Amino acid sequence: MTERGRRPDQNQQRQQQEQERRQGESRAGDDEGLRARLDKLSNALDAQREAATALDAAKAQQDGASARATATAMGLAIRILSEFVAAVIVGTLIGWGIDRAAGTTPAFLIIFLLMGAVAGFWNVYRIAMKPPGAES
Amino acid sequence: MAEENSMDPIHQFVIKPYVRLHPFGIDASFTNASLFMVIVVLSAAALMLLGTQSRALVPSRLQSLAEMAYQFVASTVHMAGGHDGMRFFPFVFTLFLFVLFCNLIGLVPYTFSVTSQITVTAALALLVIGIVIVYGLLHNGTRFFKLFVPSGVPVALMPLLVPIEIISFLSRPVSLSVRLFANMLAGHITLKVMGGFVVSLLGAGFFSVLAPLPFAMTIVLTAFELLVAVLQAYVFAILTCVYLNDAVHPGH
Repeated sequence: MTERGRRPDQNQQRQQQEQERRQGESRAGDDEGLRARLDKLSNALDAQREAATALDAAKAQQDGASARATATAMGLAIRILSEFVAAVIVGTLIGWGIDRAAGTTPAFLIIFLLMGAVAGFWNVYRIAMKPPGAES
Repeated sequence: MAEENSMDPIHQFVIKPYVRLHPFGIDASFTNASLFMVIVVLSAAALMLLGTQSRALVPSRLQSLAEMAYQFVASTVHMAGGHDGMRFFPFVFTLFLFVLFCNLIGLVPYTFSVTSQITVTAALALLVIGIVIVYGLLHNGTRFFKLFVPSGVPVALMPLLVPIEIISFLSRPVSLSVRLFANMLAGHITLKVMGGFVVSLLGAGFFSVLAPLPFAMTIVLTAFELLVAVLQAYVFAILTCVYLNDAVHPGH
């Protein structure tokens, strides 16, 4: 019962909408055409920009790759060296401190010196095992 | 006396107090190191303030320099710490600019390089590690200690691995400070010694024909020190990011 009641209403509405759209199309025709042209233009611009950046990147890679690789490699070398040395020093200092406090003179110094060396190797291993592309 | 000073490669690192201040028995004198720290902070602030003043769409050289520094550090922080790490961006950026300007200004003859003092670099490194510990404990609570427990390791190995991880963690401020300090110290001493060779060869009669050799070496070393200055600032910043990332996301 309710369905029958609604149908004519809906049909009317649909017809109205259709009419409005037809009227609007002739008015909005310029607008849509403009939008299409703008879209096309911006697409072309994007494509051009992408091509330009790709070209730039390729050129920059050729120019700066060796210099940047050298700098990165040097930074890595300095890091590995200092991390290894620092771990050994810290281990030794901890062992020395425990020995001084406990009066067990060479025992903990030796243990922590070795542990410091292991920690140093562990640091270096962790740096070296990072995938080459990733920073840090 | 004057000649002796100019030949002494360590003399450039002597700290001279300009204004003697001893509040509460602490030596807080205004020294040449303090003076250059003030200069460094002022010039870094000037770069950012003057560089961002015009905000032109097509940047001037100064603005482009400021933007490059900003973008470089921002991408570094984002890469190491992700979105959560970006809250530390102001801190890392300040550290980076401070270290970079210290290193670069220290390269100018007759200046004092602040980063060649281990007290300065150690203070910076302790600041970083202090923030890592405090923020890690506040943000993650006891989960922060997962940092010392490597995942996927049998329990039998834990008594061995946990002390190693602790030593590895404690060695971070040491390596952070010693690396910067040692690089700057060694570089400046090398430059001074090479410059000293030029002077002593010039005064050595026939051998003065050899003087251009260490002079050329000095030029090469100066360029190399420029690279090291920027590189060390970069390494300091990126390691700060890595350590802060451990505080944000502990447990590898």
